[in-house]
Amino acid sequence: MAHALSANAIPAAAISGERLAPRSRVLTIAGIVLLVAGFAMVRTDPGFAAKAWLQAWLFAVSLSLGALFFVIIQHLTRAGWSVVVRRVAECIAANLLWLWLGFLPIAWLWFDGRLDTLFPWANLDHLREVAPEEAALVGKKVAFLNPGFFMIRAASYLLVWALLARFFLSNSVAQDSDRSVARSEKMGKWAGPAAILFGLTTTFASFDWIMSLNPAWFSTMFGVYFFAACCAGGFSAIALMSLRAQSRGLLKDVVTPEHYQDLGKMLFGFGIVFWAYIAFSQYMLIWYGNVPEETTWFMARQIGQWRIVSAALLFGHFVIPFLFLISRWTKRWRGTLTFGVAWMLVFHWVDLAYLIQPVIPHDIGKYDTYDALLAAYANEAAPVLNPGLIALSAGMLFLLVGRTLARLVRTGLLCKGDPRLAESLRFENF
Amino acid sequence: MSAIPGNSRTGRLPGFEETDNTVDVPGQRASLVLHMDKFHQVTRQVCQVAESKRPPFAWYAAFVVSLSLVGLLGVCVNYLIFTGVGVWGLNNPVMWAFDITNFVFWVGIGHAGTLISAILFLFRQKWRTGINRFAEAMTIFAVICAGLFPGIHVGRVWLAYWLFPIPNQMEMWPQFRSPLLWDVFAVSTYFTVSLLFWYVGLIPDLATLRDRAKGTIQQFAYGLFSLGWRGSNRHWHRYERAYLLLAALSTPLVLSVHSVVSFDFAVSQLPGWHTTIFPPYFVAGAIFSGFAMVVTLAVPARQMFGLKDMITLRHLDNMNKIILVTGCMVGYAYSMEFFIAWYSGALYEKFAFLNRAFGQYWWAYWIMVSCNVITPQLFWFKRIRTSIPLMFALSLVVNIGMWFERFVIIVSSLANDFLPTSWDFFTPTWVDMGTMMGAFGLFGTLFLLFCRYLPMIAVAEVKATMPQADPHWEGWQHHGAGHGHAALASPETPHTPDAP
Repeated sequence: MAHALSANAIPAAAISGERLAPRSRVLTIAGIVLLVAGFAMVRTDPGFAAKAWLQAWLFAVSLSLGALFFVIIQHLTRAGWSVVVRRVAECIAANLLWLWLGFLPIAWLWFDGRLDTLFPWANLDHLREVAPEEAALVGKKVAFLNPGFFMIRAASYLLVWALLARFFLSNSVAQDSDRSVARSEKMGKWAGPAAILFGLTTTFASFDWIMSLNPAWFSTMFGVYFFAACCAGGFSAIALMSLRAQSRGLLKDVVTPEHYQDLGKMLFGFGIVFWAYIAFSQYMLIWYGNVPEETTWFMARQIGQWRIVSAALLFGHFVIPFLFLISRWTKRWRGTLTFGVAWMLVFHWVDLAYLIQPVIPHDIGKYDTYDALLAAYANEAAPVLNPGLIALSAGMLFLLVGRTLARLVRTGLLCKGDPRLAESLRFENF
Repeated sequence: MSAIPGNSRTGRLPGFEETDNTVDVPGQRASLVLHMDKFHQVTRQVCQVAESKRPPFAWYAAFVVSLSLVGLLGVCVNYLIFTGVGVWGLNNPVMWAFDITNFVFWVGIGHAGTLISAILFLFRQKWRTGINRFAEAMTIFAVICAGLFPGIHVGRVWLAYWLFPIPNQMEMWPQFRSPLLWDVFAVSTYFTVSLLFWYVGLIPDLATLRDRAKGTIQQFAYGLFSLGWRGSNRHWHRYERAYLLLAALSTPLVLSVHSVVSFDFAVSQLPGWHTTIFPPYFVAGAIFSGFAMVVTLAVPARQMFGLKDMITLRHLDNMNKIILVTGCMVGYAYSMEFFIAWYSGALYEKFAFLNRAFGQYWWAYWIMVSCNVITPQLFWFKRIRTSIPLMFALSLVVNIGMWFERFVIIVSSLANDFLPTSWDFFTPTWVDMGTMMGAFGLFGTLFLLFCRYLPMIAVAEVKATMPQADPHWEGWQHHGAGHGHAALASPETPHTPDAP
């Protein structure tokens, strides 16, 4: 890339989002239609409907959180290379400004006194009847796992995320016109506290919304696992949206194979290798320690069809993308990178299904051997391919992309006032 | 991109002045090499340490102290071997104490080197070039100290080779399912790769020392180890491939070594040990303590050997930021452990953690928390990050805190296990204390020898971060040296490491 574009020579048409407006409207409408259809399909089974909604909503939330982390870390490290892809990340993260709406169905369950449709701890009396031992353990944590505090916490996470996303987007957009270096300094300064807030809220959100689905189970690693999953999804989303924008003629010569290679490296490092490291460590330590309270969670993921899903995750989220994206050229060539990140988005979604959908059988303790358990639950279904779940998830994804595009139409596709833009345009991997 | 010149700042004492190059101006990058605009000046500055007739007085003083401690180590280890592990303060529930604490502590110290040479390399952090050489040396010496402890802790030292899966007539094999054996492989792999990485990086600089050497012994020794390096184009090409491959090999090792060390504890069912966050938590703690040790050593070394223009205030500031980040990660892990111990609802988990904070080892726990989580928060303030005395003091505090962290994890969980009738209290003996101090002496001795005889800073790599190394540097026009290529073709060509 001997002839990098100079910051003043970028054609306005290359970074204006105007062209994306029709696509944004189509995707938004398609998203809403799919959501309605999805709800219609799952409505007969309230338990599954609640979980399907949780997965679809968290799919969108996790992509936005991954993008938000990307933005924070760029400011924290004063990164230069990433300026040309940062606006896309900021706009994906900015979906956190409306994604709180997705929590309303869960809030309604709470309001209606049916929070236990999703979270067994919300109805301890019922839990005592069906699983007295589990209820005894869960009873010790009512100070944390009670509906009131749960709602307050949820509100605080959603508020913190919205504020963080807004802070970084609004300063960046304001910088487009005023070109103020002070804004970069301000965002750099607040990136540290933002990273801490992000880490704590993401951790506890994953405890509340995913780990407490099986309220007796616990793992200190769980927050880190969810963080790694957010990176897998969020970084893939940033790369995919930049790639798609470019194939529609935008960001020409602004985002180059150099930037794609780096996005690919970030995805490879955090979303694939770090994720696998965390997933392996969590599994290995629990398997080796073999403490019954802990192993049940994995057993529920090894019975019936879940066995296939677990194996698919091992290969689909780690082995195959690891081998595929380790090469330099697969990260630099648009075709291969598009395939790689789309693949990762699918398996990030499978990962969420794996985390959210399985139910630990209450009678898991009565089987003498592992084989007996496997035999008893040989027909356990994994509803990963349920059309209602897919429709809801696709609806959330379309809505997320549609709203991101709508925001890009308003903000433009490039942080054109960033003082590090020239460095980013000129950036190359040696 | 223009570089920000350093602002001069006078120190209070003569000889202790610092140049402040820590100011960040978005859109510009600060100079990493100060007061030098010729490559030759870098060479001279680094080589003069090894070439001077005698090192500064402070070097001798430190060397005498370190060497005496090595003597103490010899006494303690011999006494242990001739008498038995009873000379340590171990007792029935506490069968691991200072030995394994020291082992984990030293492995942790050894982490900064690989992080700097591999991970910061991948993240294109150019400032790593000022400190990577001696951080890597530190890694190797720390791993040597670490390796000592499991070796002598086995009791019958003459059978220590049983740790390795060596074919033998008794068909006795180590337990492959034990993480203690994985440790043998993890640590020895780490040592081998770190040593290779360090040595490969040293070759061009050893050749520089060889070419400049005046004495026959120096010429022979540096010549032998520089493997016939002539700085040809082909040499550089192969060198950079090797460097890249070793960086790729080292990256997973940064995570794997301390993860495997954490498995030693976490695969058990002991409350306080069996917790899933251990692997990343140990890795973060290791980087935390490793960087603290780099600061502890860099501050006096740059002063003593006049290397302030290459290990600048910005380098130290950056390292202090990494200490802050990893300190926060360690704090996160402590809080997760505590929270989940309560959340689990398990009686034993809850007890283990309350016992740590308020039981018989409460003092160790609170030393750990205050040194590792509370005081590093001072690094949020730039004034403290850039104050030499304060950062030195804080780096010592972190070292102390991280030693206590391992002590707390190991001893407090063992001393009060499931059976209250077997509870006991561990008190170190003089042999425990002597071995611990002796290991510091061994580390210090090796490090001082390294400072004296080898290039402490990666000369070739530092040159590559200077603006003059860029053929398109605007300054070349003013220098009238054509397009600069003529100047770059000199034997002191800086190499630009590949980013993978």
